Amino acid sequence: MSLEVKVPSVGESITEVTIASWHKRDGDSVNADDVLCELESDKATFELNAESAGILRILVQEGETVPIGTLICRIEEKNGVQPAAKPVEKAAPKVEPTTPNTNRTPAITENKTQSMQETPQTTEVVEMKVPAVGESISEVTIANWTKKDGDQVQLDDVLCEIESDKATFELTAEASGTLRIVAQAGTTLAIGDLICKIEKGAAAGNGTQGGGVTPSKEMYSAPKEVLKEENKKSEEPGTQPAQTTPVADNQKTSSTSYATGHASPAAAKILAEKGIYNKEIKGTGIDGRITKADAVQAEKTQPKAPAGPQETAKPAVNQATASVPGSREQRRQKMTQLRKTVSRRLVAVKNETAMLTTFNEVDMKPIMEMRAKYKDKFKEKYNVGLGFMSFFTKAVCVALQEWPAVNAMIDGDEIVYNDFVDISIAVSAPKGLVVPVVRNAEQLSFAQIEAEIIRLAGRARDNKMTIEEMTGGTFTITNGGVFGSMMSTPIINAPQSAILGMHNIIERPVAINGQVEIRPMMYVALSYDHRIIDGRESVSFLVRVKQLLEDPARLLLGI
Amino acid sequence: MDYDVVIIGSGPGGYIAAVRCGQLGLKTAIIEKYETLGGTCLNVGCIPSKALLDSSEHYFNATHTFAAHGIELKDLQVNLPQMINRKGEVVKQTTDGIKFLMKKNKVTTYQGMGSFVNKNTILITDKNGGTQQITSKNIVIATGSKPASIPSIPLDKKRIITSTEALNLKEVPKHLIVIGAGVIGAELGSVYGRLGAKVSFVEFAGSMIPTMDGTMGKELQRAMKKLDTDFYFNHKVTSVENKGDEVVVIADNNKGGTLTLSGDYCLVAIGRKPYTEGLNLEKAGVQKDERGRIVVDEHLQTNVPGIYAIGDVIRGAMLAHKAEEEGVFVAETIVGQKPHINYLLIPNVVYTWPEVAGVGYTEEELKAKGIAYKTGAFPFKASGRARASMDTDGTVKVLADKQTDEILGVHMIGPRTADMIAEAVVAMEFRASAEDIGRMSHAHPTYTEALKEACLAATDNRALNI
Ligand SMILES: Cc1cc2nc3c(=O)[nH]c(=O)nc-3n(C[C@H](O)[C@H](O)[C@H](O)COP(=O)(O)OP(=O)(O)OC[C@H]3O[C@@H](n4cnc5c(N)ncnc54)[C@H](O)[C@@H]3O)c2cc1C
Repeated sequence: MSLEVKVPSVGESITEVTIASWHKRDGDSVNADDVLCELESDKATFELNAESAGILRILVQEGETVPIGTLICRIEEKNGVQPAAKPVEKAAPKVEPTTPNTNRTPAITENKTQSMQETPQTTEVVEMKVPAVGESISEVTIANWTKKDGDQVQLDDVLCEIESDKATFELTAEASGTLRIVAQAGTTLAIGDLICKIEKGAAAGNGTQGGGVTPSKEMYSAPKEVLKEENKKSEEPGTQPAQTTPVADNQKTSSTSYATGHASPAAAKILAEKGIYNKEIKGTGIDGRITKADAVQAEKTQPKAPAGPQETAKPAVNQATASVPGSREQRRQKMTQLRKTVSRRLVAVKNETAMLTTFNEVDMKPIMEMRAKYKDKFKEKYNVGLGFMSFFTKAVCVALQEWPAVNAMIDGDEIVYNDFVDISIAVSAPKGLVVPVVRNAEQLSFAQIEAEIIRLAGRARDNKMTIEEMTGGTFTITNGGVFGSMMSTPIINAPQSAILGMHNIIERPVAINGQVEIRPMMYVALSYDHRIIDGRESVSFLVRVKQLLEDPARLLLGI
Repeated sequence: MDYDVVIIGSGPGGYIAAVRCGQLGLKTAIIEKYETLGGTCLNVGCIPSKALLDSSEHYFNATHTFAAHGIELKDLQVNLPQMINRKGEVVKQTTDGIKFLMKKNKVTTYQGMGSFVNKNTILITDKNGGTQQITSKNIVIATGSKPASIPSIPLDKKRIITSTEALNLKEVPKHLIVIGAGVIGAELGSVYGRLGAKVSFVEFAGSMIPTMDGTMGKELQRAMKKLDTDFYFNHKVTSVENKGDEVVVIADNNKGGTLTLSGDYCLVAIGRKPYTEGLNLEKAGVQKDERGRIVVDEHLQTNVPGIYAIGDVIRGAMLAHKAEEEGVFVAETIVGQKPHINYLLIPNVVYTWPEVAGVGYTEEELKAKGIAYKTGAFPFKASGRARASMDTDGTVKVLADKQTDEILGVHMIGPRTADMIAEAVVAMEFRASAEDIGRMSHAHPTYTEALKEACLAATDNRALNI
């Protein structure tokens, strides 16, 4: 037996809390009423007490922000401790066949035991848990569900999208049957946590409504278009609430009612703040009412409109880019897990390293001439274009091998020198910046480098990047020039120690042998961690890169 | 000093707005010209009137129903000064509570009259004439209302009085003439009626509490007949004169006749008017409508961006809980949230005994709108709980949509209906049907069973206990 501890609802308008600190450790034995952790909302801090004694199993780590209702830990009863394995809710409930007793008075609804609500026939339940998606990833967020609770799913159907701070991947059904969602979209889970269950071959009933004998009212019903929706305007003070228009009853089906799509007061506020209309989401409350939980979730599944057949694309709702001319509305959008992690990391790097930047400039004329001369032949032979990236990568590889500190990293009290060069290349992907790695770049040819970069960038654009493809670089190159940046100070990609920033190429007058000439120039910046890279090394490194780029023949000759 | 929000007026609108602003982390100040916080509601409205209503109801029961309960008392007397003292204590505790709330939420309190210098600057003038200026990005006007008066009724505040004086009388009137049989008139008329005064109501409309569902006014009048009361409906007061120890009220009825009444006190309860005197609204350019109310949009913002108004000083019902909802609404709006208020579901309540409470549409409104509805009623006479407490006056009426069974209005008169109406509000916020409530367990015996029964009656005419 284990007791599930969820984030309690702590006050109106509070939708999420952050775990400020755990007062107990995972595996600790706790007593009833012990303070387990401190939760922080944007309004207040409060403590969460243990409801019973047992062994604490922490599921959500300190610093994580989770919505109200999220499972954050379990308390396992001491006798019969089952360390890692969570009690498997083997179905085949102990129900003496409760064939719906038609003699029973309709008013009585027994829901003392969960199992009473299950279909009486035996169902095998497959539990789907968060898979291990790569070392160093300890938790993931459910980005959105592509299937709905209660849906019939087939083996290998995509059920939901899972986001970690490194990548997004899809979870596919491990069995065919009825989907029972356990973790709602937006929930952050640890590896191994239960995501959903699939009831194999179970009849598609509505498992949540008690008492088989109540008149059939499906809980999950689509909002009816006929219903006049409450919209913000009509709630203008003094006017009647939008809803009371009696709606043609004959159109009513058993699954919808006049109240389908009606949002509870708290839900209505949340939806208004997200700019989502009631119509766009499906209520899970009685008769399709929109509950607070529906509204809290709505935002997260929002950007991807569920591909329902009757869903005639709703343009521009809640799209970060939509801007109405003349409007002064502000819109708020939750940060994605990726964005939150990125921001946390960037700040951490600024705080935890001694970062500074050195600059130089590169006369790009030689490379440009070389490129102009050979690019067609190159393309013909290797089937990839000859870009600047291969020159930069090669130059960096040579320089890194000459200045190994720039290719090193700090690990505790030690410095780890890398005798190979794995170059991380910053690529902007739809969900934000990703940094795939070109491995052993020092050994690759120009053509191999170009091909690899193209392959990785394509995968990043399609959100297909795997964790492995993004871990383990020793040095990063970022090119702000593609967006027009002239000069910038990039932030190190921890735990690496240095990053090279490329910029745009601009024709500038420069003095060449006492003459003013117009040359295509690029500023380059090297941000580095001064803790392990001295000024002499960093500056020399960058000068070396400059030298190699301005005279590419050196790359060939290794001088 | 510069603030995120400055609130003018500390009634239920203003102080609640201040608390919510504080909760939301805004740097907030509140200005109150009066010595204590809490506004009309806490000082001379809701709270003191309820204190006197309870005291007078105890006396009425002691004189009228205790004997039936088997309690015999002799030499029963009204000690009005003590009643007024106790009321004063209640008010003091409550207004002190607001002071504490301001401190708790880090709201700065200024005592003095607030007036606009420009749209971001407020001048505060204290009672000794000292002044200071504060500035703020947002200003909330919550200056409330004052008793309305008309030229034909000169208030002298001695014999011709408003609710404020009626809460502090030194003696129980022998004959109290109440002009206006609305909420305040009915409540304060009850207080002195129960203490032994003869009470005459002169009302322009055709019934008591005319804005509420018609059944309620009729039932209330019937219940009030237990006191020494007279009712003159459809009468327009043309003159009121203080003749020393006597007040003479003259009114025309709608049939050409004239009524002359003389009593020792005349309570003028013809309504309240928005209060904006001394605010210097023109300095900020804030507009009012023809009835003196500050004009606001659906975000409760005035025509001047950054200036909001709430409570009695704007359109809508003059109720403390309406002002409170608006206080929260404005605070949340200022920080960019999107709250909403369903004005139809702000309950109306009258604290007579029996109490009257209603929410949603009245039967008259449904008729006027042409909405097909059905009715279910349950009288407290049939309630075991009501019989046990000898509170059998009144009834609960539920109006539901004829097709969908959705509850469209609930109107109740009876014991503790002011508390009971909350269930109807919850149900209607979730758009429950009458049958929904009819299928929910209500503890037995309670007054609330009457609502369940009325819902069953509305569903299918299948109330169980009648
Ligand atoms: C006898 C009586 C009984 C009532 N009973 C009930 C009841 O039972 N239930 C209910 O819901 N409602 C009741 N009401 C109505 C209720 O009191 C009002 O609806 C409510 O007080 C309105 O709140 P408010 O915040 O808008 O304004 P108010 O409560 O009127 O507060 C406004 C405050 O602003 C201050 N002020 C005004 N101008 C300035 C200025 N320029 N500078 C500084 N301060 C200023 C005033 O001094 C006042 O304190 C009753 C009213 C009366 C008179």
